[in-house]
Amino acid sequence: MMHIIINILSVFCLLTGLIFFIGGAVGIMRMPDFYSRLHPAGKLDTLGIFTMVAGLVIYNFHHLSLGVVLLSIKMFLIVFFVFLASPTATHSIVDAGMRAGLRPWTKKKEKE
Amino acid sequence: MKFLGLVIVCLTGGLLLYGSMDLPDWGDPASPASTHLSDYYIEHIVEETQVPNLVTAVLADYRGYDTMFETAVVFCAGLACFLLLRDFRPGKNRYYRHIPTGVMLHFKNPDTRMIPGNEFEHMDRDWVPSDIIIKTVCRILIPFIQIYALYVVAHGDFSPGGGFQGGVIFGSSLILMAISYNLKTLLKRVTEKFLSIFAATGVLIYVGLGVLAVIMGGQFLDYGMLAPLVPWDPGHVRALGMLGVEIGVGIAVMAVMVIIYVNIVSEGRHDEGL
Repeated sequence: MMHIIINILSVFCLLTGLIFFIGGAVGIMRMPDFYSRLHPAGKLDTLGIFTMVAGLVIYNFHHLSLGVVLLSIKMFLIVFFVFLASPTATHSIVDAGMRAGLRPWTKKKEKE
Repeated sequence: MKFLGLVIVCLTGGLLLYGSMDLPDWGDPASPASTHLSDYYIEHIVEETQVPNLVTAVLADYRGYDTMFETAVVFCAGLACFLLLRDFRPGKNRYYRHIPTGVMLHFKNPDTRMIPGNEFEHMDRDWVPSDIIIKTVCRILIPFIQIYALYVVAHGDFSPGGGFQGGVIFGSSLILMAISYNLKTLLKRVTEKFLSIFAATGVLIYVGLGVLAVIMGGQFLDYGMLAPLVPWDPGHVRALGMLGVEIGVGIAVMAVMVIIYVNIVSEGRHDEGL
């Protein structure tokens, strides 16, 4: 019974992560300019990674022991570092774009 | 001239492709590599070297010379970068910033210089105010990256990893510091002298362990001969010797990474850069 619940939960988390990743990939392809493309890229790096790793961590809890808990903590450490690094990287890329003088996309531009 | 270059490139590429037809198939069990040497390694490594990681055992013990000269090549790359790019002429323009007011001073005469202290600091020409978000996050991340690099070096003989990878990770953490702050902040902590000494020390540790084995009565790089020097289990000495060698490789690679980065971004002047 426990196994089934764990499996259902982890599959649910993985599928949610997959939806985020697909959405992010489509967003990167379809968004009109540099800045708006970075938006889905940052999204899928944070929320997608979180749900994916959460699914794997739940799957890992087949039995409770010190090794399993340690492994789960290590997996969540990956999430923690991505949470720190990915928004910062997005921020610095946008910053570099602004400094280099790239103008954000507006609707007016398309009409011309 | 361009046409000639194209012809030479096409000819060489064609010859290489023609030569590659004689190579055995990918993963072919009947190929010479899989029939003679690999079997020997897989069967005998654990009893001969006590190292659980086959890759490290092959690289650092069976092919110790190869890895030693790879380290020497890395060292030579750093040396070549230094010799080709290092520019010792004094910079023509110097920029100083008065810290309390933020006023920039521009010195055009190369002979006048100011000693940067609490009031003034030496600045880059195209200085941009450093970003507090990037600085803070890098401050948090860099120590963890460095601990991870040490972990990779220390686990060289047990799991995937080793001196080259660990050294690159450590070097990249220093480069991250140069990118997130500026080049001067890095060079204040990790000076050129320090880097050069480290690059040479890494190679010396490797060669020194090899020579030490000769002094103890063995052959060059025969780590098993170091057993009387270490108080621990003599069966594990080979693994410990490989760990020492990996540490040497890690130090050399770390220093050379930073030397190459610093020399390229500042065009050899070591004053300003990315």
